[in-house]
Amino acid sequence: MKFAKCNLTAALMLGVSTLAVQAEDLVVYQTWSSPAEVAALNVLNDAVSAQGINWIDITIPHDTGSSVSLLNLVIGGNPPNIFSENNTGVYRDLTGMGLGRDLTEAFTESGAIEHFSAAVLNAITIDGEIRKMPLGVHIDGMLYYNMEVAQAAGVDPTAWGSLDEMYADFEKISAAGYTPLAVGAQQWQIGYLTHAMMATVGGPEVYNALYGAEPDRDVLSSDAVRTVFEWLRKFQEASDEGSVNRDWNMTTNEVITGGALMQIHGDWMKGEWRAAGREAGVDFGCIPVPGYEAVAVTVDGWGALGGQSPEVDAAEMLFAQIVTGAEVNAAFASVKGATPVRNDVPSGALDACSQRVIELLGDNDRQVNNPSVTVDADWSSAIWEVAFNFWSDPEMSVDDAVANLESQYDVIVY
Amino acid sequence: MTDAPVMYPRKPQRIKGRSIAIIVFLSMAALFFCIPLYVLVVTSFKEMEQIREGAIFSLPARWTWEAWSYAWFDACSGLTCEGLRQGFWNSVAILGPSLVASIALSMVTGYALALWKMKWAGTFLFVLFLCAFVPFQIIMYPLIRLTVSLGIYGSMTAIVFVHTALALPVLTLIFRNFYKDIPEDIIKAAVMDSGSFWRIFIEIILPMSGNILIVVLIMQITSIWNDYLIGVTFGGLGTKPMTVHLANMVTVSTGTVSYNVNMAAALLTAIPPLVIYFVLGKFFVQGIAAGAIKG
Repeated sequence: MKFAKCNLTAALMLGVSTLAVQAEDLVVYQTWSSPAEVAALNVLNDAVSAQGINWIDITIPHDTGSSVSLLNLVIGGNPPNIFSENNTGVYRDLTGMGLGRDLTEAFTESGAIEHFSAAVLNAITIDGEIRKMPLGVHIDGMLYYNMEVAQAAGVDPTAWGSLDEMYADFEKISAAGYTPLAVGAQQWQIGYLTHAMMATVGGPEVYNALYGAEPDRDVLSSDAVRTVFEWLRKFQEASDEGSVNRDWNMTTNEVITGGALMQIHGDWMKGEWRAAGREAGVDFGCIPVPGYEAVAVTVDGWGALGGQSPEVDAAEMLFAQIVTGAEVNAAFASVKGATPVRNDVPSGALDACSQRVIELLGDNDRQVNNPSVTVDADWSSAIWEVAFNFWSDPEMSVDDAVANLESQYDVIVY
Repeated sequence: MTDAPVMYPRKPQRIKGRSIAIIVFLSMAALFFCIPLYVLVVTSFKEMEQIREGAIFSLPARWTWEAWSYAWFDACSGLTCEGLRQGFWNSVAILGPSLVASIALSMVTGYALALWKMKWAGTFLFVLFLCAFVPFQIIMYPLIRLTVSLGIYGSMTAIVFVHTALALPVLTLIFRNFYKDIPEDIIKAAVMDSGSFWRIFIEIILPMSGNILIVVLIMQITSIWNDYLIGVTFGGLGTKPMTVHLANMVTVSTGTVSYNVNMAAALLTAIPPLVIYFVLGKFFVQGIAAGAIKG
């Protein structure tokens, strides 16, 4: 009776789904433990458990580029059914072991596929198959600023039409006693800033030539790449003393407490603003980097394990359909502080910053993907290293940086 | 000693250059550890509102246990929001059997190697010596395979098994070297009196092992309690030790950070080995002085 009811609700809610599941255990392997993330997990858990899926949680922090734990579980013979993983290589490895699972059919059936933007689709597709269920979108380089500070310094970030116009105001901001741009100088943060600036300055063409599956050597010495390094130097010179090795969280706090005007970082910054009780559009503003040619997009995606029994497989597919449903996705994104992956979410449910992101995602020609889904990990970390060395050594010239990139290219990509 | 008959006038102590240097060095070394510890402790008693202001050395404006109780009772590790408690008891459950198994096995092996004439003892010692230097990371995958084929992968038994196996080489060497210093005559006499391997061990060797046991206990408790990699690799659902729970709380990439809770959680996790040090520290020094690790 209970199951019948569950299935009925499932069918009603999904409308199109033909999958029916009888209380099935799914092991979910993921990384999240901070309060907003756990609240978001609970949104998903509530939705899937209402449909008879029993979520068994394994949490291991593994967002460091290596996926050792996941592969350990696979080798150990206890692979999770659903796993948080962004690295393309891992999905290919799983395919090689006969454990890949294509989600295209599930999303076609539920209709979700029509509502994913280009960057989302690109991020979840590997070798022509949809392998990830997208959960939330983040823009890797948004500019968040403290509205009170902007007013006190007499500047209006929304009026900046280009990076030069932004830079022209730096002096004014410093004169008013604020750090213009707060930066957390850790390798990954500078790496993110670098690829966000590549998207901003170079647009999809340069960006994809640099961070594509087969990087183009000629682009390394292009004007766009040089310009990005010039901007990095300007940002470095404008940063405050405390920036060295500072967490992005503390960097955001520097902006929240009014020590600095703004920060360019992934828009998960919103989490810290919200945790400090500040409101988007009231206390802080969010804009793409002025003069952007494209925005770099991170899509949180989870994979499903293939080679399972029909019952488990059906449960996995149902799981994928439920968590990408419009309402669930909207609720998830809202509590996590991300932007929904679907474009058909009612905009009333979104805060000012997410609305801006949805607008940005509406333009398929001006969005590129986070390097982790597009590029060889060695090449990506080589760029990080060069960018961070450049940042940390004021003596290093743009020519040096380009030469370093070229020599790294010759070693890694040939 | 108690009633000294003659009192010689003591020379006025002069502070020498050397002792000044030592004191300066020791104070610097102490500061090196105490300053981060100070930040750790005061931050754990602050509210996030104050932490955001960024003055890490300031005292809490309002002292509060909230971060501590949150870390212990409510903090989340994924969907499970039961705080570090669960991990603490897992760690205790891992520690107990690992300690008993690793020490018992290595003690007996060390005793046999040191005091009984055995074939291949030299070769065996050499192999043990080599094994003591193999880093765990290198044999991690084979160990996973091994535990899978034993049918224990992903359970607490696997964690205990790996802890025990990895500790055996070093511990055996330590016990063997300690027992090697026992005068041969004692054993000869004992062999003539009873001759039993186990009886000599229990009645003669064990009572002489107090010092070395303390040393090994402290080493093992610290390393097992502080281990992360074995726990995260071999543990399964609900069997992860406290360090893994701590890492879940502290490691965030795009999530928000509650520094006060992180500090409290780190301190909570560090307290058990610290307590052991304070309680057994005196014996530890005695044990080392008794010639244990000198080999």
